[in-house]
Amino acid sequence: MDKNLQEEEFTQIIKFKPSLNKQRHQFVRDLVEKYKPKKVADLGCADCSLLRMLKFCSCIEVLAGLDICASVMKEKMHTLSPLPVDYLQPSERSLTVTLHHGSVAHKDPCMLGFDLVTCIELIEHLEESELKKFPEVVFGFMAPSIVVISTPNSEFNPLLPGVMLYRHPDHKFEWNQAQFQSWALETARCYDYSVEFTGVGRPPAGMEKVGFCTQIGVFVRKSPRTGESVQSEKPTEAVYKTVFKAVYPSLKDEKYLQTAVISEVIFTAQIIKHRLMSKREEYGDDPERKSKFQPSMDCFSDYLGKLVIEKNMEPFVNGNEVYIPLATIFSFPKVNRLCGTFEKLCKLIAGKVTLSSDGSAVMLNTEYENEEN
Amino acid sequence: KTIGLQVSSGLQDLSLRDRGGRRRDFHDLGVNTRQAMVHVQESKTGLSGRMIKLTTNHFRLTSRPQWALYQYHVGYSPEMEARRLRSALLFQHEEQIGKTHAFDGSILFLPKKLENKVTELFSRTRNGEDVKITVTLTNELPPTSPTCLQFYNIIFRRLLKMLNLQQIGRNYYNPSDPVSIPNHRLMVWLGFTSSILQYEESIMLCADVSHKVLRGETVLDTMHSLHSQVGEERFRDTCAKELIGLIVLTKYNNRTYRIDDIDWDNNPKGTFRKSDGSEMSFVEYYRKQYNIEISDWMQPVLISQMKRKRGNIQGSVALIPELCSLTGLTDKMRNDFNMMKDLAIHTRLPPEQRQREIGRLLNYIQKDDNVQKELRNWGLSFDYKSVSFTGRVVQGEKIFQSGNMFDYNPQFADWTKETRGVPLIRAVPVDNWLLIYTRRNYDVANTLLQSLFKVTPSMGIRMSKPNMIEVDDRTEAYLRVLQQRVTPDTNIVVCILSSSRKDKYDAIKKYLCTDCPIPSQCVLARTLSKPQTIMTVATKIALQMNCKMGGELWSVEIPLKQVMIVGIDCYHDTVSGRQSIAGFVASLNQTVTRWFSRCVVQSRGQELVDGIKACLQTALRNWFKWNKCLPSRIFVYRDGVGDGQLNALVNYEVPQFLDCLKSIGTDYSPRLTVIVVKKRVGARFFAEIGGGLKNPPPGTVVDTMVTRPEWYDFFIVSQTVKNGCVAPTHYNVIYDTSQLKPDHIQRLTYKLCHMYYNWSGIIRVPAPCQYAHKLAFLVGQSIHREPNLLLSDRLYYL
Repeated sequence: MDKNLQEEEFTQIIKFKPSLNKQRHQFVRDLVEKYKPKKVADLGCADCSLLRMLKFCSCIEVLAGLDICASVMKEKMHTLSPLPVDYLQPSERSLTVTLHHGSVAHKDPCMLGFDLVTCIELIEHLEESELKKFPEVVFGFMAPSIVVISTPNSEFNPLLPGVMLYRHPDHKFEWNQAQFQSWALETARCYDYSVEFTGVGRPPAGMEKVGFCTQIGVFVRKSPRTGESVQSEKPTEAVYKTVFKAVYPSLKDEKYLQTAVISEVIFTAQIIKHRLMSKREEYGDDPERKSKFQPSMDCFSDYLGKLVIEKNMEPFVNGNEVYIPLATIFSFPKVNRLCGTFEKLCKLIAGKVTLSSDGSAVMLNTEYENEEN
Repeated sequence: KTIGLQVSSGLQDLSLRDRGGRRRDFHDLGVNTRQAMVHVQESKTGLSGRMIKLTTNHFRLTSRPQWALYQYHVGYSPEMEARRLRSALLFQHEEQIGKTHAFDGSILFLPKKLENKVTELFSRTRNGEDVKITVTLTNELPPTSPTCLQFYNIIFRRLLKMLNLQQIGRNYYNPSDPVSIPNHRLMVWLGFTSSILQYEESIMLCADVSHKVLRGETVLDTMHSLHSQVGEERFRDTCAKELIGLIVLTKYNNRTYRIDDIDWDNNPKGTFRKSDGSEMSFVEYYRKQYNIEISDWMQPVLISQMKRKRGNIQGSVALIPELCSLTGLTDKMRNDFNMMKDLAIHTRLPPEQRQREIGRLLNYIQKDDNVQKELRNWGLSFDYKSVSFTGRVVQGEKIFQSGNMFDYNPQFADWTKETRGVPLIRAVPVDNWLLIYTRRNYDVANTLLQSLFKVTPSMGIRMSKPNMIEVDDRTEAYLRVLQQRVTPDTNIVVCILSSSRKDKYDAIKKYLCTDCPIPSQCVLARTLSKPQTIMTVATKIALQMNCKMGGELWSVEIPLKQVMIVGIDCYHDTVSGRQSIAGFVASLNQTVTRWFSRCVVQSRGQELVDGIKACLQTALRNWFKWNKCLPSRIFVYRDGVGDGQLNALVNYEVPQFLDCLKSIGTDYSPRLTVIVVKKRVGARFFAEIGGGLKNPPPGTVVDTMVTRPEWYDFFIVSQTVKNGCVAPTHYNVIYDTSQLKPDHIQRLTYKLCHMYYNWSGIIRVPAPCQYAHKLAFLVGQSIHREPNLLLSDRLYYL
């Protein structure tokens, strides 16, 4: 359902800045920043706008969305795909984004093992029968460490012009603060969670009693995850349909790591070779260039200077070949960070980069091919 | 305020649905030039030459008989503004409208006809407001209508997206299987270009393999390495030269931006005004919006000009170098022989492999259920086998040089060997010349001199000893020597440069092309350092020097009399001042071996065509001087016409040519032919030889099947390639009063591909186009203003 659009219509008088929807998203993000969950599911993800924001949170490695309406998810799901740059510069973390088509009234094993489950403006769209099953599915079955549930606060409605019964024709109910809190406390008690209440969309001064425009309950599971107990007792069948899945390129994936390392090794070697060759090619070659060397931004030349002091790490030329010791290359921060250990470096570039016979140095040809014309 | 709701032709609104809302008609649809040329109404095909069996990368589109697209106008009462709301309200009635549709907010396309011409639907908004939607049939589009073709293209793009290909610019690429070239920090993505057009007999999909070169580094990385290369002094300048004009991708969205400027006074701590009017720093914005921490707070900010309004953002966009990745190649990279060689291994696919890759795309399309469903819903399908037909290979040309006649081996399309040691048609003596070198290159200079003395006599060139001048390796030193030693009697200046640093080269060229118009030849010392190639190099240099002084090398038979051939090409300078330069070259003699060359330097906002008109006038005057009469036939080969610019050419440039001819005299009415030359075309041809696919031989002409019915056009494969697929050149005759048969126009065009003196072989385009290109490039890259007209009767820019 389209939350953003409908709220825009009444924010004209009571103006929330940033918009209420943005505030809800920001709330979730702050929560993510605080608890650093690795696996996050958004129930009722609609046009995936919250997921789109969450994919930038660097702690999250698994993101899932669930919605009853496949077409609304599909409309913008491609925006959850990796960007070209994600392929060009694979990130350190891994990230998988999956969208499922299904109901929160049904259990599906793909929803197990999450750290945070968000239900933003979801429950008020549920039919009575679905709402009844909802706590068992989310708290009983999924049983994440944290659940966030937001829903409209009906006490705020008189302040919103144009709202007759509910804020949205698809809403099946809208609760006041007492109603929401009693439902939430009961649910929390039943499944051994603690709950705290807050909200976004502050009421105007003097009317604090009506409470936030959107009320939010943050549920935290009291007992640490007992894990198997719940899950093993009844293996559930998959009922959701996966409509989208994107695996982001990551350096955790050997394939991407290898490409990145090889690329960095050869590039570093090329730079060292270039330096070496231009040094050999007579000093007085190019006075214009030499005189104005200010290495303020020039991290490479500084760095090389320091390096060469150490023995066995000096690159050298033999015939048509330049030898750049792997140890030298490994000492460059970028290579170092990527590989971690020298052994790993050797393993990753084995067979992919031309090495000296003893395998201790990268070998590059000094031949400079001439262009005609 | 209400949205304009006029019922438009649909074409513009349709293109709005295309990404980026480009309104340009890339395929020059609806420019019908053939109808004005009576002599090609019946047939535009030639007959000469031997037949050759060809296949191509075109695939027939088969739609069901009577296939039509139904265009509806959708109106709302009361008026609804938001496009999303309009869609949502309309598609509440999906059972009536159907699941297959394309809707841009006011125009709806359906593959089926609704029962009534006007359908009224009633929806309710979430606020309980009742809305009447009126869906009115405005058009039934036959499959060949431009709107329908545009529509096919959009549908096809949807399919590519469904196949999880990534859109970069106009094409789609597969990111999951990249080729990495670590030596140069490049990545190559394989992708596809596609276009669906009405061709001679049927609507076809033209699919070709496309390679996107991406760089595995951010703009900031590039800035760092530039800094370490050039130092502080020239840092900003170099950054501007290297980066402006490049297309970048960002870390946080799927858009591409062009770098138009670098704001050195700004940095990530700087603020910008958000759409809601509040100020925010870049650092804060990226942290808040995307959780991205900018690590370097001292970097400058890149500026990208928005071509059109996007929402309420207008004008320019600021980008952070650290968050941008570069795409494509710079001119500098293109000139890097090693880099291009390494790239070519991956991008130059031989015919078989190329066809296999294209086959793979069609295979994906065929295998993907969702894609097939989408196609079925629109009633579309493709022939998965590419089109085959017969082309013609026209006869090879004879090369004439001082009374000798040569055939060349058509397999190589090159006559370097055949003409070696044969006197040139016109050898200009080199009596008075300068040879300038640095101390370090003294030996190299002597080697060059000795080699020149060896190779020139057999060419018929008389060469005296030069003034040997040693200089310091500084730009000012070179210039001082030129100022002191060049006299009006100097035939040519040869400079040996020790590095490929552009500023020295530019300064020398600028001085000797404008202030002191004397031909010049620059040679890199490195090129002369290999003993095994020195004779070849010296031969080439001698030939080049001869041309620069007004010499002539060889000729082919040109049967037409009193003919002037014109070549025009453009160079767009994206860095300094954004000027455009048109090179203009016109033949001066019967044998088409001497050329008059001028160029037009146009700054922003000016029209190139005014300058071109003036060039044509002076060219005619010069032709008159040389031949004592005016040409009775003029052929203009116009290169450098972008996609979608054909209309402008037909409606503005051609009338200007005619105007110009009229202004010469009332009794002067030569026959004029204007041919648009296009090197960048999607079509590829493969010759079926011995059961395999090979490149078609030079001289292959295609003027059926894959040409356009509304044009008088043809393809010629004139050059050969060592590896990869040969690209045919497309020729579109947009104006023709020559009364010549298509055969003759095709033959003349092919002959002219033999006349480029910097290459003793056949080239891709007619020589005048290549000369015009060379000239425009030199002026655009190095000189930046019009060279001295005293040089205009020589190929000084070769």
